[in-house]
Amino acid sequence: MPDARVKEYARLLVEDCVGVQAGWQVLILAQALARPLLDEVVGEIARRGAYPLTRVAFGGFAGDEWLKEAPEELLRTASPIEAATRSQADCMIVIRAPENTREGADIPAGRRALYQSAMRPSMRAFSSDEKPWVGCQYPTQALAQDAGMTLAEFEEFLYGAVLVDWPALHARLQRIADRLAAGSELRIVGADTDLRMCLDGRRIDVDAGAGNMPGGEIYTSPIEDSVEGIISFSEYPASLAGHEVGGVRLRFEGGRIVEATAETDEAFLLATLDADEGARRLGEVGIGCNPGIQRHTRNTLFDEKIEGTVHVAIGFGFPQLGGANESAIHWDMVKDLRNGGRLELDGEVIQANGGWVGFDG
Amino acid sequence: MTDPRVRNYAELLVDRCVEVQPGWQVLITAGVLARPLVEEVQRAIARRGAYALTRVVFEVAEVPTRELVWALEAPEELLAELPAIERQTAEQIDAHIAIIAPENTRAGSRLSPERQALLSRSRAPIIKRYLSHELAWVGCDFPCPALAQDAGMSLAAFEDFLYGACLLDWEEEGRRMRRIADRFDAAEEVRIVGAETDVRLSLTGRQGRVDAGRSNMPGGEIFYSPVEDSAEGVVTFSEYPACAGGFEVEGVCLRFEGGRVVEASARTNEDFLLRMLDTDAGARGLGELGIGCNPRITRHLRNTLFDEKIYGTVHLAVGASFPDLGGRNESSVHWDMVKELRGDGEIHLDGELVQRDGEWVGSLA
Repeated sequence: MPDARVKEYARLLVEDCVGVQAGWQVLILAQALARPLLDEVVGEIARRGAYPLTRVAFGGFAGDEWLKEAPEELLRTASPIEAATRSQADCMIVIRAPENTREGADIPAGRRALYQSAMRPSMRAFSSDEKPWVGCQYPTQALAQDAGMTLAEFEEFLYGAVLVDWPALHARLQRIADRLAAGSELRIVGADTDLRMCLDGRRIDVDAGAGNMPGGEIYTSPIEDSVEGIISFSEYPASLAGHEVGGVRLRFEGGRIVEATAETDEAFLLATLDADEGARRLGEVGIGCNPGIQRHTRNTLFDEKIEGTVHVAIGFGFPQLGGANESAIHWDMVKDLRNGGRLELDGEVIQANGGWVGFDG
Repeated sequence: MTDPRVRNYAELLVDRCVEVQPGWQVLITAGVLARPLVEEVQRAIARRGAYALTRVVFEVAEVPTRELVWALEAPEELLAELPAIERQTAEQIDAHIAIIAPENTRAGSRLSPERQALLSRSRAPIIKRYLSHELAWVGCDFPCPALAQDAGMSLAAFEDFLYGACLLDWEEEGRRMRRIADRFDAAEEVRIVGAETDVRLSLTGRQGRVDAGRSNMPGGEIFYSPVEDSAEGVVTFSEYPACAGGFEVEGVCLRFEGGRVVEASARTNEDFLLRMLDTDAGARGLGELGIGCNPRITRHLRNTLFDEKIYGTVHLAVGASFPDLGGRNESSVHWDMVKELRGDGEIHLDGELVQRDGEWVGSLA
């Protein structure tokens, strides 16, 4: 029997997250194992009188075999058809359903970055949120394995995090965002961590049921040259493009990473920081607020929303929030604050041990 | 280990069939089961310095990539039109490699004939680029259980059969077929006689094309677009069913007058046949006469791509003809039906018997 949650998930994506309208061309990037969800999504789109433009990939959406071997000048220039597809689509749904979360780890980071930079202009309407889009996942064995769960457990976990009352959660997160917007300096204190940054003039955004599914975070792009201090991601590894880097420790001066170390795969960390000038600056600071996510699952989409954590991303910032940092990289790293950590706003503790303090968060 | 034939097959498609050039945008459409071939094709395209635009599909209702789950439920007015982005894509691609690898060859039969016909109509704006060979394209199969099942073979036997029919010395095959095509090119009237069949058509002023491994893989046919108003007589496809869109129509009998089908009947699915013939004005015209010449294809497999190349058969297609072969019949339909001539059949060119019971005789012996 088909899982009723898949149908509900599809409805959420098509109706609530991107709000498909009749006549729209809906770009869908999906990995092949997402088929049950994809079929439901395409059915929803049909019933709403719109066109799906479905792009199913086995690994990465560029085609890993192509990405490995194409000449660099081709990676540098987007295919006009692929670029036009992305810039003309009315909305976009991205569904990841990996067979192996390490697939693609054998593609040099530089090649991937070239391709992503070339595609970025055509994605501008999505990255700036002018057009609706949603990124999500479909439960697979590989995701369950990384999470240390059986597939059935991971399904429970995933649907528990996405099939929630989003309007109610949004209202709660908006109150927290308003509190942050009233302040200036954010300080993150925790194990081997004391990092300060200025949020002046930057818009604080709430992600609760739109661009990411699951949502459940409050985020912004900090003032680029204001970041000072140390942050140690001692609790969880930082994952990107099939790599897992353990024990990342970053020291910032004048907004720039001047010292970076890691316990494992340090070489990948350093190579990524050297991808371009913007890769050594922060593009994002976010606060995880999804009550359905309490465990780390080695899966950034979920981990960055763990209630009681913060994350910072090196690389590109969000122009629509005032962010000015440009880079081909955007790498989120999650820091747990539930064991003795705290957040201060202009010297006042607003969160301690992962719980909000002093206001109705 | 990957079957080395898969890599050879991919190189044949990329290097010979569509001859990918640097900078080209090459569309790959493929059933999900074709993954090993898709990956080799992507690699071969990358090595030639071209873009691979990959469209993997599950259940496909219509080429290039209209999903069945969508086609079953979308409003009818959307079916007859391609979305703008897909139309642009079809107008801009330099080559298209279409790989068929269905999980179930009958999946499309869930779709009503009305919806099927609307979908076919959506192809009208793009079909010309294909028929005129303005873009390089190839249609091929990847061996999968459903195709093996229709062929009545195990998967391993079907793989041997498919690679046997595809991995040929195409230069040599081309030379052999060219000699036959020259004789047909010089002829005016073709007459085909067989079981419940006697049909005449004119090739006056028309040149044929030899498919020696270009737009079809396997190749192995010589084909023409006959003079539009010339077909006269009856042809009965009594030996093999005519297959289209997941339907199988048995015992199709067509009577031509002045080049058009004026009477059509079938033993099974006659309703589907008649509906297809009424899709548009050109669907009752004769778009193609083809002669099957692939020496490695000797059995009918319920798979048109192979069946139309069976050595010793001919095929007729109702619907669109080939503009680059002088054809002027326009239609969103192009439906090949295969007629067996081995055992009981003759081809005459201007009164000379050139093929008897599937073997070339006389000046073509």
